[in-house]
Amino acid sequence: MRCGFTILFLALSSATFAQTPPEIIVSRQLAESEHLVVGSLVRLATDPSGTAAREFRIAGIYEPTPNPSRLGVVPREVRMHLPDLLNFTRPPSQSPGTEYVSTINVALVDPNDAAAFSRDVNARMPGVLARPSSEAAGSAGPFRVLERFHLAIASVTIVAATVFLLALTIMLVDERRETVGVLRLIGLPVRRILLQILVEGLLVALAGAAFGLLLALGSEWIINGFFQWKYDTALVFVRITRDVALTCTAIAVPLGAAATVVASWALLRRSGLTLVRR
Amino acid sequence: MNAVGFAWRSLVRQPARGALGVLGVAAVGALLFDMLMLSNGFVLSLHDLLDRYGWDIRVVAGDLPLEGPRLRHASDTAEAIANLPQVRAALLVRIAEARIDRASGPPLTAQLVGIDVRSAPGRVIGTSPPWTILSGRDVANANEVVVNTAVASAAHIAPGATITLRALCVAEREALPPTTLRVAGIAEFPFTAFDEHAVGTTLAALKAACSGNVEDDVDLLLVTSTGDADGAAAAIRAARPGVNAMTNDEVVGRFQQAGFSYFQQISTVLTAVTVSFAVLLITVLLTVSVNQRLGEIAALRALGFSRWRVVKDVLSESALIVGTGGLLSLPLGWLLATGLDEILKAMPGVPAQLHFFVFAREALAVHLALLALTALVAAAYPMRIVSRLPIAATLRDEVIG
Repeated sequence: MRCGFTILFLALSSATFAQTPPEIIVSRQLAESEHLVVGSLVRLATDPSGTAAREFRIAGIYEPTPNPSRLGVVPREVRMHLPDLLNFTRPPSQSPGTEYVSTINVALVDPNDAAAFSRDVNARMPGVLARPSSEAAGSAGPFRVLERFHLAIASVTIVAATVFLLALTIMLVDERRETVGVLRLIGLPVRRILLQILVEGLLVALAGAAFGLLLALGSEWIINGFFQWKYDTALVFVRITRDVALTCTAIAVPLGAAATVVASWALLRRSGLTLVRR
Repeated sequence: MNAVGFAWRSLVRQPARGALGVLGVAAVGALLFDMLMLSNGFVLSLHDLLDRYGWDIRVVAGDLPLEGPRLRHASDTAEAIANLPQVRAALLVRIAEARIDRASGPPLTAQLVGIDVRSAPGRVIGTSPPWTILSGRDVANANEVVVNTAVASAAHIAPGATITLRALCVAEREALPPTTLRVAGIAEFPFTAFDEHAVGTTLAALKAACSGNVEDDVDLLLVTSTGDADGAAAAIRAARPGVNAMTNDEVVGRFQQAGFSYFQQISTVLTAVTVSFAVLLITVLLTVSVNQRLGEIAALRALGFSRWRVVKDVLSESALIVGTGGLLSLPLGWLLATGLDEILKAMPGVPAQLHFFVFAREALAVHLALLALTALVAAAYPMRIVSRLPIAATLRDEVIG
């Protein structure tokens, strides 16, 4: 059970006592910052003054599940058994057994029954709110917004890249003005030359897309490494999935080929003699 | 004709190429400008919001305002802080949830903010409540509230009307009796989201609405110093070691550590990518352009143009493309920033008045410096080509070709 309140470390000791204190596990980050090891005895209190501190024994150190909504917050956490937590946090004026828990997680025999089970619980137990886990994932909101933000930036990047690509292809096509003119003069039809340019554009775009993906894979490693180090988390920030790679290729290749054709079109409309400047 | 004029003619001779180069720089520059505004935008905007009402220190029990436990023995703490010589006034702030009844439709869920100010006798407070009155007036007694525009429009109320609310003060599922309060005014709450409902009142009114269910604890204390916020915060920490007194600078720093530095990091990464992209593409653009004009450049050298002069021509062409594109990037970047800001502000819980993209002179200066550097670096390779161009060999090749 995760302990979600401020915990003050009062003292650390490796000594053992006659009565075995309750066991806890601590997050890796907390263990590192406070130099805790398995078997250490710690005293925990629920308020900063340390009144009514109790002793616990560290039974293990765990890696917290990465939580995107707590990015930047170093997870200094302690987990203990629920009865220990209730004993630990119950005010002196409260009778045992009258405490409340914030959430009960239920594992169903058939996960597909989640919606029906929730409806059933809500109907039978007024005052209790049951929701399938998929609906309870409210923290997804900020990440959907970030996804839209990244998509908007990607769109602007595509626009900028397209403009540059057009400028470059116009120049490259212009370099071949005379070659194209000669091909026209020896009788090759415009459609044939255009097809050749399209195939060439496609090959260049495919090579560019492949290079781009390799670059992205390299960046993935660098960016994840940097942010995981920066925030001391196991979260993955960039992941080049098959879908992402396919989407990028599906945008880049037709765009590259189309830019080549558009840039060539103006050239091909002129006569062969004009192109060879005769 | 000077180098700039010559470069201009080179550009307009091939208008499509020139225009596309400028447009490309404008688009990349707009993104660069936005990333620079994003890098410190959140910090500047949050600082502005925190400073807006004159409270320069936040006192809380946890690490950050409105996170962690409430501040206990709040009245004594506020009195002790208000009596410090470095402090002008302290404001107790308690936040609860409230359901506001409506004539039609389900009740509105709102944030209920109760405040109470403390100051030593004879001191001028010189600050205002943490909200801005838009119409009507501020709360004058424990039977009055101010509501934000979201509440006013959803419940169809105006100053002078009454509202009935049920407070939820310690747990989500309380069943406290309803309280009827008079609306004194419509106010703007700086830290509420677009669609968030907020009600402001006195601490006494909030405690009455909670039917005595709350103890003497508050969510935070806002403190205004006599001028030295750092000194006042240190004095508060010395006087009350159990509390966490933070100046507005420190609050911003903590928020940055707690996740919002992500935008700073991402803007740094994107700035680097954008600048590299611009350098690479302008280099290619200029290199291809120069390669197409090698014969022409060699002829100019043969006619008496110095090596330095043809280098200046290339540099001027780069400067013209980047300069014109950079100028266009400013309005374009502003428009883009408005759209991107709207996207990010859709994040749940982000205050409506907080902005992620904020214009700052420093951002503009860095933008211009990076563009200047881009023009210089991008022109380096083509400048090298023209400076080392063998005149006779190039002319011979051109004639034979």
